[in-house]
Amino acid sequence: MPAPVLKKYGSIFAAIAKASLIAEIEFRLNFVMKIINDIFWYAAQIFTFEVLFRHTNLIGDWNLQQTRVFLGVLFIVDAFYMTFIQENLDRFSEKVRKGELDLLLTKPVNSQFMITFARISVSCLGNLIIAISWFAWSLSQLPDFNWMKGLWILLLVPTGFAVMYGIRFSIAAMAVVFVRVDSMQYVWYQLYRLGMRPDSIYMPWLKFILLTIIPVGLIASVPARAVLNPPELWVFAWSLIAGPLFVAFSAWFWKQCLLRYQSSSS
Amino acid sequence: MSFTAFYKRNLGFYKLAIASNLEYRMNFFMDALLQPSITSIVEMVLWMAIFKGAQATTIGGFEQNSYLAYALWATFIARATVNWTYEFKMIEEIDQGSINGLLVRPMSYYEYYLSQLLGYKSITTGFSLLFPIGIILATGLPTQWDRFPAAMLLVFYYLFFVYSISFCIASLAFFFNKVQSLTVSKNLAMWLVTGELFPLDLMPDYLRKIFLMLPFSSGVYVPIGFLTGRIGWEFLWHGFASVTVGIIFFSALGAFLWQKGMKTYAGTGA
Repeated sequence: MPAPVLKKYGSIFAAIAKASLIAEIEFRLNFVMKIINDIFWYAAQIFTFEVLFRHTNLIGDWNLQQTRVFLGVLFIVDAFYMTFIQENLDRFSEKVRKGELDLLLTKPVNSQFMITFARISVSCLGNLIIAISWFAWSLSQLPDFNWMKGLWILLLVPTGFAVMYGIRFSIAAMAVVFVRVDSMQYVWYQLYRLGMRPDSIYMPWLKFILLTIIPVGLIASVPARAVLNPPELWVFAWSLIAGPLFVAFSAWFWKQCLLRYQSSSS
Repeated sequence: MSFTAFYKRNLGFYKLAIASNLEYRMNFFMDALLQPSITSIVEMVLWMAIFKGAQATTIGGFEQNSYLAYALWATFIARATVNWTYEFKMIEEIDQGSINGLLVRPMSYYEYYLSQLLGYKSITTGFSLLFPIGIILATGLPTQWDRFPAAMLLVFYYLFFVYSISFCIASLAFFFNKVQSLTVSKNLAMWLVTGELFPLDLMPDYLRKIFLMLPFSSGVYVPIGFLTGRIGWEFLWHGFASVTVGIIFFSALGAFLWQKGMKTYAGTGA
């Protein structure tokens, strides 16, 4: 991408971030509660596994220390998702219904970019700090952990996030054609839920599906596996391919949906 | 005000909720059946993995089938006893001033949404419970059917408790406008304390005692534990009693917040 274009989108992103911060701190109780909510969510996930491991040594093929690492990866990806994407894509269907998409399409910027980053949940940035802290702590609890393995995370977390984004955006884009796709949003959350558990708990056929056809296993399980287990190179290679592939698919799918757009507000 | 008028009015609200939820059938199907089905399958698979990892026939004194039955029922009952939709609606109406249109009508705001919540829950729960009932009948997972009516009665009674809390939170919108995050916080906390995530008997003893004393456990753990034979009638009676105390407490708090809120409410945005 040429430098002026990057600069343009960078400045748009910065303006959105600034506007989002101002909008969020306007309602301070809500702002604080949003942060507390996410802490609750993390605590619930951690607490669940801590309690379950009081009664077993292994879940799937991971012990408590390894599951903590998995949760760390999940929290990091989720923090990115909550900060940049969740609110925008959750509300997209409503925007289409109200005809707000028309205005957006007339702007001289990439519409997918504007939909994805229309608003940034600044309060969720705190999640990222918590998530990274938890992840670093969980790694430090592993006996004989080779920190060089942690480099895999730098590659596999972004690709997992890209896969997540690609699927989520494609589901949201259906609103352009079908207008009311709230139900598809529910489907997404259920798919995501499958990815919120270590993939090793699933039967081999289901695990294969979750790594390939509906690759929610790439979101947290594969990056966690990279730092915990001996490398499974085909899975890592697939993860590196799947990230860009799903983002490209979402862009293509968005254009196809726009071709069928009939404008709700007109 | 005659009881007949009150009854007819609320029956109307009840039917309104049913009609509006059935309007978009695909949404209804996803909401009532698909979502909880997938969740329960994930949770059941997790329990299988836990038993495999533990290499034990029992955990906490109960067999794998007991946990599978619990996980299956818990997802559906938890969805029946949580209130997102109407609580968000109430908050938004107060925040944006569209509540004005309801305040001038000859009814109370409290009953308007309570009847709608009951209508919505009866249609979605009635439909969605077909899934666990079918699975239990097909697989023979432990469920004591003679306890089913009593367990469902507690679930229904618990809805009044949940609504009382929702009313309190919605009333806070008079003072703070956007309080949707409180709904999320409350429901996340309930996720843990109701026993939706795992049976409360697995918790450390001191936490289990506290959670069982609170009315929240009557949302999931008590009815499901009772239905699947983990706990006896004494827990059910205690559940009814604690929910009653909870309803009284939160109704009083809600009435207080509502009255205070109405005094400060300026009706902007109408």
